[in-house]
Order: sequence, then structure tokens, then C-alpha cells
Amino acid sequence: MVETIAALGPGEFAPKRVEGSIARQILSTAWRSTGFRIGFTVFVLLLVASAVWPELSPYDAVKMDMKARFLPPLFLGDKWAWGHPLGTDQLGRDMLLRCLVGLRYSLFIGVTTVALMFVVGCGLGLLSGFRGGLWDTVIMRLTDAQLSIPMIILAITILGVSKPTVPTIILVLGLSGWPLYARVARSAAVAERGKEYVRGLRVVGAGDWRILFLFAAPNILPPIAFVAVLDIARIMIFEAILGFLGLGIQPPTPSFGTIISDSRKYLINAWWIGTSPGVFLAVALTAINLMGAALEKARNKVYGGA
Amino acid sequence: MYIVEFLLKRIAQGVVIIFLTSLLIFTLLRVVPGDPVRLIVGGMAPANVVEEVATKMGLRDPIIVQYGRYMAGLLHGDLGQSYLRPKSGMIATGGEYVDPTRADMAGVGELILERLPLTLQLAGVALVFAFLVAFPIGIAGGLRPNGWPGVLAFATQSLFVSIPNFWLAIVLILLLSVQLGWLPALGYRGFAYVILPAIVLAVEIAPFLIRTLTVSLGEIMQSHFIDEARVRGLPRRRIVYGHALRNAAVPLANLLGIQLSSLIGGVLVVEYIFDYPGLGHLTVLSVVGRDFPTIQGIAITTSAVFVFVNIVVDLISYAIDPRVEL
Amino acid sequence: MQRSPILAVTDLSVAPAGGGRPILSGISFKVASTDTYGIYGESGSGKTVLSRALANWLPGSLAYGGGGVAFAGRDILDRRQSADFRVGRDIAYIGSKPQSALDPTVPVGPQILEKLLAVRPNLTRKEATERILHLLAEVRIPSPRERFHDYPTRYSGGMMQRAMIVDALCAEPAVLIADNVTQPLDVTIAAQIVRLLRDLCERHRMALIFLASSLAALARVAERVGVLHEGRLVEEQPIDRLLKAPRTDYTRRVIAEVPRIWSTDSEPAPPPAADVAPLMRVVDAHRTYLVRRRGHFNSYNRVLAVRGVTFDIRPGDNFGLVGESGCGKSTLTRLLAWLEAPDAGEIRLDDVSLASLSPRQLLAKRREFQLLLQDPYNSLPPRSPIGRMIGEGLFLRGALSRKEIEARVRKAMGEVGLADGLYHALPTALSTGQRQRISIARALVLEPKLLILDETLSSLDQGEQAKLLELFAELQAKNDLTYVFISHDLAMVRRVCTRIAVMYLGEIVELADNHDLFFDPQHPYTKALLSAAPTLEEKPFDATVYLLEGEPPSPIDIAPGCSFASRCPSAFGRCRVETPKPIATRSGFSACHLLDPARSSAAA
Repeated sequence: MVETIAALGPGEFAPKRVEGSIARQILSTAWRSTGFRIGFTVFVLLLVASAVWPELSPYDAVKMDMKARFLPPLFLGDKWAWGHPLGTDQLGRDMLLRCLVGLRYSLFIGVTTVALMFVVGCGLGLLSGFRGGLWDTVIMRLTDAQLSIPMIILAITILGVSKPTVPTIILVLGLSGWPLYARVARSAAVAERGKEYVRGLRVVGAGDWRILFLFAAPNILPPIAFVAVLDIARIMIFEAILGFLGLGIQPPTPSFGTIISDSRKYLINAWWIGTSPGVFLAVALTAINLMGAALEKARNKVYGGA
Repeated sequence: MYIVEFLLKRIAQGVVIIFLTSLLIFTLLRVVPGDPVRLIVGGMAPANVVEEVATKMGLRDPIIVQYGRYMAGLLHGDLGQSYLRPKSGMIATGGEYVDPTRADMAGVGELILERLPLTLQLAGVALVFAFLVAFPIGIAGGLRPNGWPGVLAFATQSLFVSIPNFWLAIVLILLLSVQLGWLPALGYRGFAYVILPAIVLAVEIAPFLIRTLTVSLGEIMQSHFIDEARVRGLPRRRIVYGHALRNAAVPLANLLGIQLSSLIGGVLVVEYIFDYPGLGHLTVLSVVGRDFPTIQGIAITTSAVFVFVNIVVDLISYAIDPRVEL
Repeated sequence: MQRSPILAVTDLSVAPAGGGRPILSGISFKVASTDTYGIYGESGSGKTVLSRALANWLPGSLAYGGGGVAFAGRDILDRRQSADFRVGRDIAYIGSKPQSALDPTVPVGPQILEKLLAVRPNLTRKEATERILHLLAEVRIPSPRERFHDYPTRYSGGMMQRAMIVDALCAEPAVLIADNVTQPLDVTIAAQIVRLLRDLCERHRMALIFLASSLAALARVAERVGVLHEGRLVEEQPIDRLLKAPRTDYTRRVIAEVPRIWSTDSEPAPPPAADVAPLMRVVDAHRTYLVRRRGHFNSYNRVLAVRGVTFDIRPGDNFGLVGESGCGKSTLTRLLAWLEAPDAGEIRLDDVSLASLSPRQLLAKRREFQLLLQDPYNSLPPRSPIGRMIGEGLFLRGALSRKEIEARVRKAMGEVGLADGLYHALPTALSTGQRQRISIARALVLEPKLLILDETLSSLDQGEQAKLLELFAELQAKNDLTYVFISHDLAMVRRVCTRIAVMYLGEIVELADNHDLFFDPQHPYTKALLSAAPTLEEKPFDATVYLLEGEPPSPIDIAPGCSFASRCPSAFGRCRVETPKPIATRSGFSACHLLDPARSSAAA
């Protein structure tokens, strides 16, 4: 970022040290709220745990160990063991490990899907809003058509057949969200198009494409990107639902949905099998939601004040 | 006059959308791998039996022809017959071979009509629960966003939105049904069976209501005309309920239109977990069983509901705020 | 005047709620029940805070520091004393933003009714509605019964202000506080509103407290004026004595700064001679916008924004274009800057029709004429460093190397007075004057011949305006520039412009040299405009004849004949039938039948 303390002009006061881009402003405003800090810390912890622990743990997330079946979590029941702080499932696998591996997939799918939706959706939305005309009509009809099909139906139709792989899951989940980004980007682009500075640029001779890519997009996209954080949570839930219905990552690879789905049979005797993944997911989602809400508030503040 | 123009335009657009949706689902089902005939005749049947049945069912014709046939039937109000469910109601289990072209299969239209009221009932009750919780919290939060009501609203909404619906369902079943025995859980044998599923759905809907209420009410309370109403002599109650809430209602109505898609997803999952015999439940079973006609029928119904709700939402927005572009 | 005052302010002070320097301190004055009391305050003096404090309507961020406001003897800030007092009924307030003062989702009439019934519950609905309709007619809102049911967005600025006056008056308050009520309005409308307020207060026997940042407006309304400076009332006198013999230096300075149009000698040099080839010619330009008609199945309304405009701009001119809102000058500006093309007619620069150029030729030609915008904050791309912004026109043409571009940018920055060190900085902390200089540099770097300034000075204060005008004069001499000033500020135009065109409803109704326009205007609209101008001077022609009523007609359904006929005090039969053609005057032309030497009073 360009920051220079300027020299005094003729008879005019010295400008203060200039701040960085809108992105940095939003981040620093968000950072000031406790909610954001808590959410961020928890999120980072979970991220690190899910990345690191599965490498360090002595257990295997997939292999059965019939001797260690149905061990309860720490301090509960009478058969708990230090080695399995969250207990084991019906096949003797360590719950903590399975939850963290499931979290890995969940986070990965969540972030990648949102990134995909953002790029595709905003790209189309910007084109649609800034250029208008035929672009606008076609893209908007497309989003309307897509929005009128509940995603869950499309998802289970496509995934209910072949063996779902991570890329297909990402693709299907991505289809569920891009129209929203397109709509938001489009209205932001339309608003931007009417702004004075665009007129000023046209007058010196800049064309639409140049204005869009060099000036308008860097202005429009950061606030949308920040709010996209909230979407990660939505996608993670969606992925878990697919897993629950048997349409997500297939067992024995652990995923929150499948673990919880299986756990229904053992609800009365081994309730921890269903609860721990739920708690992990809820905590991760809360952290993301706290961050997302703080970012949204910060964005509104920066734009309201500016 | 304006409204008539709007209605005509939107209904025309709606028909196009429903048409496109049905075409999309139709094609998708036949293009994506997964042969329904296989599932019907059983994994053991020889290939020529499969081909024979498929041809008799018309599944080997080009997609356009199949679609034409389907559309023709549709215009007569005939949504086709289920591949899976005979009129008697029992789905053929593996091993038995029920020839769908011979046996008396349940009409898709009837199936849907049978289950639609249950789903609507579930959605209705869930919405009522959601409003009952969201309104007081959301309004209080919007009026005092920096005080404890605002914090409470934020906390409630964050909590609810982070709980996966299927997990909550399991936990509630465990606690309220199995352990405490207060409410029945699975199936449907009376109104009491709606309550648990509706609670789960309501927890899913409520956070968006709360958020929109707090945010838009909060913004509107800052606007100039609300401020000015005070010096004009209007009492506070009147300002909040007669003007602020009125203005906040439009974003709320829009929200419902947008959230509809995910609401339908929620209904699906909730009905599946609770074995609640509504349209969502039927959808899951039909997709897994590759029951093409039923899936198509449901897709059309859902699309139609979608179009209808969006039109109603826009009309309500216009009734409240005539600046809205219809 | 020994009557007890209806409002007595004693030692009032207001400060931020959490503590800090007081915004108002020691304010004391008295207003009797039929007085009109004016308060002058420039922006930042605490004027609005004072107006709100008088009505017990402070925002949550401010608090009373001390003192009292006594209404009919009882202090309204003291809860025990003010049990019967009701704001909205006893004291009414009208502000400067009428457009956003009412709920946009409810029609205007019912909202005024709601207020009236809230503060005077003894009235029946019928009585209240009748009273409101009567008042709507009294404030000259046409067709009050229909307008009663219209939504706020369907009201123009002037109409809405009238509606807010009705809202304030309907409860028959004893005191009316009017805060800066004419600021957002056009000059002729503002003059009408001011006169209306004065008449109404007299007729309904109310005290009027009129706060304004224009001494000229106060001179039209108030009997006594208090001067507010940095939160204190530094002086208070009857208005004529104040103007003749101010007691404080501050007041003296304020009086000296009131713009002068006729009693000043600062005129620009005479315009360039007419026989030189014009730099830019506008020939019969037309521009119409199609706006969808709601509720009529894809039919459109035609908004006739520019209707047959023809004039020349000569090299070295400082050409002025004036007019009120809705006259089409913004559209004409866009046409001159070739941001839009006219639907009919042409615009020629150096005798080349701009419409005939290919995109490449146009890009090259654009260097010769540049546009400077009004809003210093929003007219610059938000995240670009200054040097980049200024050089953008050169960068995109790709003809010069980066070093060369940088050199030219730095040179332009020097010319406009921007410090060289600002090259890499973002404009975040710059003042409005400095920001406008960035726009000027951006235009200069392309070496233009013509600069179009679209209200470029309107958002600057007097000091910054003066500095920029100096800069423009320097640049003109050095670079041989021609300017077009689009403005609504008659005083600025008087100081600077050599030739001036007056626009009304999409046409140029008069064009003349500076001195001729101001001292010998030919068109009735020009006379009306000048008579409404906010100055303290004696106008060289009879203002009372020309102060207009009503509003300009809508640009959608323009009736045949002269567009001004509906409001012109001298209109006669022919005016409503035949559109006047421009008739040559001493230094330009005027489109008015009154000037036609062969005029005949044809029957309508």
C-alpha cells in the first residue's frame, strides 16, 4: 500500500498519514470487537488442530479396534480411558481423531466451495451490472432459473447416483450459492456505475472494461468477500446434511454427517458418538459466525462513515 | 392497473420458470447415471429383461420424445404414475418384482396431494414458532442495538444458526422424546407429532428473522423521519409500531422470498429424520429410488410454490411501500 | 414592547453528552408572540443545535448544560414546570430536509392528519382533515384533495417544504422554529417559501424564529436578528440597524462577504469578439429520455431534457450556464462533455462534428475538451494514489513512457499548487479545495483547450472558491484556455463569466454579455431569477413584479407555446400558442414574444 507522509503544500495543512485500502480498514475495525477475536482464535485453534493432530495421533481414523468399542468420554461411565478423551465409536475408533479428520474435510470443502462461488458469482455479477444490456439479461435469467430450483433437490439428484467425490461435492455445493453472489455483485456494480468518479474516468477517455477491472472491481469486491465468510458456515452445514443423507463423503472416511447418521442407532447407550461431532461442528460454526458478523458490522461501519 | 400488469407479467414468467425447471430435472434424471429399471427389476435380473421393461416404460426413447409425452400428459393434469409405489401404498422391497407398466401404480398427482397438506402444516407451525421467538427478540434488539437486548439478539441468532438442524433433531429426540417422554418423535398420528419437527425447523428459520429485524429496524430508527417524528409530536409507540416497523417489514418480506430455497431444504431433512410423511420425506425416498415421475412432479410443485410465494412477497412489499419496483 | 415574551431563552448551554467543549453557551434572547426573530449562523456555528435545543429535541449525543427555555413563562426543560407543554403543538419545527421528513411509505395527508390528531385529540377526524385541506390550499399546493393522498416521493422539494409548513401549522402552535428551510431549494422557490412563511405567521399570529446562513434571506423575513458565532450570540439588533451599523467585527465581516451582484465593480474583461471562429458550437441539440410508465404495459414517458439548444463558445470565453433544477443544464453538460450524444442536432468542436468521429479519433479529440465535476469526494477513484489519478488519461493512451508521464504529472501538480510529495499519497486527508485541484491537474495534463466546470465550485467555501478562481485565471492566461461554468451561484457567475446563457425547461431563454444580463435582462424569467437572488442590494428593476408563483411544469408533457407562459406575469395570448424564437438582442438573444418588434396580440 502506498503511504507517504506528504510535505506541506503552499498554504495548506499537511495531510495525515494515510490509511491503507478498504480491506485493511474493515479488518482493523473488525479486530476491535471481542466477538471477532474470540471467533478468530477458536477458528485458528480448530484449524491447527485439524491439520496437525491427525498426523500426531497414535490411532487410525478408519481401522477398527474391536477391543476398544464404546468407550465413553473422559470421566463418564466406568470404562473411560485417557487415550480416548472423547470416547470411541461402535467400531472402536477414536472419536477425537474422527471428529478432527471430519473437520478437516468440512473446512476444506467449506472454504473451497465459497471461493468457487465467489469467483464465479461475482465475476458474472460484475459483468452483468457494469455492462448491462444483453449480458445483464442473460445472466439474470440464468440466476433466476437457478434460484427457483431448491439446491437440495439438485444435490441429491446428482449425488444420489454415483460415488460422490470431494470435487463433485464442491461443484454441487457451489451451484447452490453462486446466484446470490451474482445478485449482490450486480447491484453493487450498478450502483458503482452511477458514481461520479466513473464519469470522471470516462471523460479522460477510459473505456468500460478498463474502469471495471482497474477501479470498480477492487472497490466492490472486498466488502462482499468479507461477508462471504458467513457462507462458509452455511456450506459446512449443507455438506453435513449431505453426509447425513448418505450423499456426501462415503464411510469409512469420517465426515460429520455420516458419523451423526450412524450414531442414531446408539443414541441410548453411547450418546457421545452423536454428540461430539455435533459439538465440534457447532463450535466451528459459531466461531465462523462470530467472525462473519463482526466483519459485516465493520463493513457497514466503514462504508457508512466513509 | 399497475397490479394487473405486474400479475400478468409475473405469472407468465412463472410459467416459463416452472417449464424450465421441469425440463432441467427431466433431462438431469435421464442423463445422470443410475437406472431406475435396475432398481425395479432387482439386481439379479438379466440384461434383456431390463431392456424389455425399459422399452415398455418408454425410457429408451430420445429425451425430447419422452419430454413431449410428459408435457402432453401434464396439460391434461396427469403427472404420471410412480415407479415405486403401487396404489396399495407399500413399496416393493428387494426381490419382488413389480412391473410398473402392468401393476396399478399410484398416481403422482395423488401422492403429492396426499402429502402436501402435511408439509404445509409443518412449515406453517414452524413459521409461527419462529415468529414467536424472533419478533420480541428482534424488535427489542433493533430498538436498543447497543444495550443488552441487542446483545441478546445477537447471541440467540448466533447460537441458533450454528446448530446443525439434523443434530438438533437427534438431541431433541433423545431428550424430549426418549428420556422425558414429553413429545412423540417419529411418524405422524396427530398434531402432537408436528411439534418436535416444527421446533427444529423454527430454530433454523429464526436466526435470519432476528438478524433482519435487528439490522433493518436499527437502521430505520436512525433515519431522519423517525427523528423528526419526535419533534412533530408523535408518541413513541406510534413511531415505532406505526412507522419504523412498517418500513422494516419490507426487507423482512424479501428475506422470506430469498430464504425459501433453503427452507425447503430444511423441510426435507427434518421430515426425513422424523419420518414425517410429508412431501420432503417423499422426495428423499423418490430420489434414492430413482422414481422419475414422482421426482418430476415434486420439482414442478416446488417450483410452483416458489413462484407463488415470490409473487405474494412482492405484492406485500408493494402494499407496504409503494416505491417498490414491481 | 412590554408584553411578556412567548419564548424566553436564558443562559442556555449545550454540550456533548459525555462532556467536552460546549457547542452553545450563554444564549439569551426573548421573542414576543407576534415577533419574527432571525438568527444568523454560518455552518458549524451551532445553529441547528440551537434550533433543536429550543424545541427540547436534542439528539442523544448532546445534553443541556444549563440555562432554560421558558415557553409562556414555564421552563420546558424542567419536567415539573412543563407538564402541559407539548412539542408539535405549542412549538413547531421545520427543518432543512423536507424530502426525508416524513415516512416514505405512507401518503402525506394521512401523516399530517396523524400528527394533528396526536397533538390535538379533541378534534374529530373530519374537522382535522378539513383544516389540513384548507391549509394545503393556503400554502398554494395545487389540487389539495388529490395531493393529500400522494406519497412523499411524488412531491418536489418546494412542495414538500410547503407540506411540512402545513404539518407545523395545523396544530396552531404559538411559536414556529424554521431552521435553514430554504437551503435545499432553488432560488425562486426559496423566495416564495420565505414570503409565504412571513405571511402565514402574520395571519395566524405566531412567533417565528428563523435561522439561516444567509443574511439576505434574513433581511427578507426578520424584524430583529441575532448573530451566532461559535456557539455564542455575539450581537442582536433590529435588522436595518444591524446592516447599517454592526457592533462586532464578526458581523462586519459577514456583511462584507455577502455576495454583491449589482453594486460591485469586479466584472470580468469583455468577451472575445464575435467574428472569431467559435471553439465549440452547439446546433439545435435535443435530448430526450424514455422513462417507463408504471402500470401501462411497457409504454414510456418522454422526458424532454434538452429541447433545441443553439449557441457558440468562443475561444477565451468564460461562458456561464445558469438555471434552476430541472432546467436541463446537467443534461446539456453531459452533451457538451460528450458523455452522451444528442438525439438530434450536433455539437462541433473546432468545426468537427463530434458524432462523426470514430472511437479512435474521439479518444484523441477528447484531450481537447475536459470536464471537471462538482463533488470533490466522489469524483475521484477511491483507492488510487494521486499521481496515478492525474496521469490516468495518459496511461490509458499508452503513447508515453512511465517516466514521461510522471514528469508531466508532476508538472501539472506544480501548476495547480499541489505539493510534489503528494504524488504517491492517497487523497484521504486532503481538503475539498485540494481535491478539486487534483481534478484540474488531471484535465490539464491532457493539454485541453476547453474546460467545462460542472458546479465545480459549489461545494467549496468562500475562501477556497476565491483561491480556485485565481488559479483558473492564471491557467487561462498561461495555457490559453476557454471555460464553461455551469452554476446556480449568480454571484460567482457575475464575477467571472463573460457571456451567460439562462436555461429554463430545456431551452436557452436568454444569452447575453455579463453586464447586459445583470443590468438589462430581456427575458421575464431572467428578471424573475435575478429578483430572487439572495443579495442585500437594491435591484435595478422592480423585484416585486417578478417574484414568481408556482413551479416549473414537468418536462414530460410540455404544452405548446412558451414554456414559461404558465408563470410569466406578462404572458399574453400568443405566448400560449407559439414557441418564441430567439430574437437578437444587443449582445446575444432572448426567446420572448415581448421583444418581437412585429408583435401582435393574437387571440389564444
